[in-house]
Amino acid sequence: MMRGAAFTAVLVLCACTQQAPPIDPRVEQFARLPNWSGIWLADGLEAGIDGFSVSRPPTLVVQAPGIPWNESTMARLQAELATNPGLQVKPAAGWGYPLMMDGAPPLQFVITPEETLIFNTYRDLRHVYTDGREHPPEADRWPTTWGDSVGHWDGDTLVIDTVSVREPNKYFGISAWLSDQAHYTERLRMVAPDRIEGEMTIVDPATLSRDWVVKLNYKRADGLDRLIHDAYDNDRTGFDGDFYTIKPSNAETPTAP
Amino acid sequence: MRRVLLLTLLAPFAVTDAALAHHSPVMFDQTQRLTLTGTVREFQWTNPHSYIQLIVKNAAGQDEEWNVEMAAPTYLYNLGWRPGTLKSGDAVILTVAPLRKGGNGGLLLKATTAEGKPIGRTPNSAQGASL
Repeated sequence: MMRGAAFTAVLVLCACTQQAPPIDPRVEQFARLPNWSGIWLADGLEAGIDGFSVSRPPTLVVQAPGIPWNESTMARLQAELATNPGLQVKPAAGWGYPLMMDGAPPLQFVITPEETLIFNTYRDLRHVYTDGREHPPEADRWPTTWGDSVGHWDGDTLVIDTVSVREPNKYFGISAWLSDQAHYTERLRMVAPDRIEGEMTIVDPATLSRDWVVKLNYKRADGLDRLIHDAYDNDRTGFDGDFYTIKPSNAETPTAP
Repeated sequence: MRRVLLLTLLAPFAVTDAALAHHSPVMFDQTQRLTLTGTVREFQWTNPHSYIQLIVKNAAGQDEEWNVEMAAPTYLYNLGWRPGTLKSGDAVILTVAPLRKGGNGGLLLKATTAEGKPIGRTPNSAQGASL
């Protein structure tokens, strides 16, 4: 009996003095990051059955009210409206940046220590590098549809700096008429388990008369538990010479220009 | 003054004509509403838009096929629709905004069964609002 008790005491002593295995620093980094998992919708832009109806105007489209355009951009807009009153635009394969951040397509945020990925159901994809790197030197980058983004965490707020965004309306014609020189700063923070809020500040002296600040608010999608991606397997948008139209089912008619 | 005037001019477009799909909705006359009572020939659960091919009897009692455009599957899924929500032969009542240039086509605004039961749900954020 005595010998058994002594053996147990030795086992307990060993257990107490045994060193815990070191924690991988990256695991600790992950643990410090916010969890924004899930599918998100821009608040007020949950699309209806028609794909168009929403409860408020999107902010980042060329026709949005309150954009501080400068005089030359206003003149271009007036000229365009004179010949194209509805601002009918060419169909697009996605939304591009910055429009994807205040559009109807559901969004997902994937946060890692090195980068945050932001993407939507149309496969618009942003890499926001948060590992301390800077933008490439100006001579080594060029304007792209989604731009170049770097970021950092200010507490639980993700701060994103984006440059080299190709004129957004060249990708999706309803987008704001910003220039390749526009500079975008976003601040995003989860304020409640089902809500992310923030704002985007756009500086673009080539098209704007002052800084343009846009609110960004997201809510969890009620009806989606995953993003669904698919190719355009049935694009029936035709063009009748004046307007886009619906091509007959399984019929060959001229496609939109 | 010039800026104020242009913003006044642009504001109605912002509310009535902002496109949130892969093309502009200008092709549909959003001031008009047509009610189509018919039978589904085919439900196309496809990108960038879904479609209902609907057989409707015209005034002369002859069958006519209508092309009814809808949102992309992702948006419909969020509203409770599924690929099998409509099947060939289903009787439905559809409210559409017709094509601006005429013809048997329109944009789906509301769908119910023949008994008037809504199909899918209305978005929480879009109640009573439409571009």
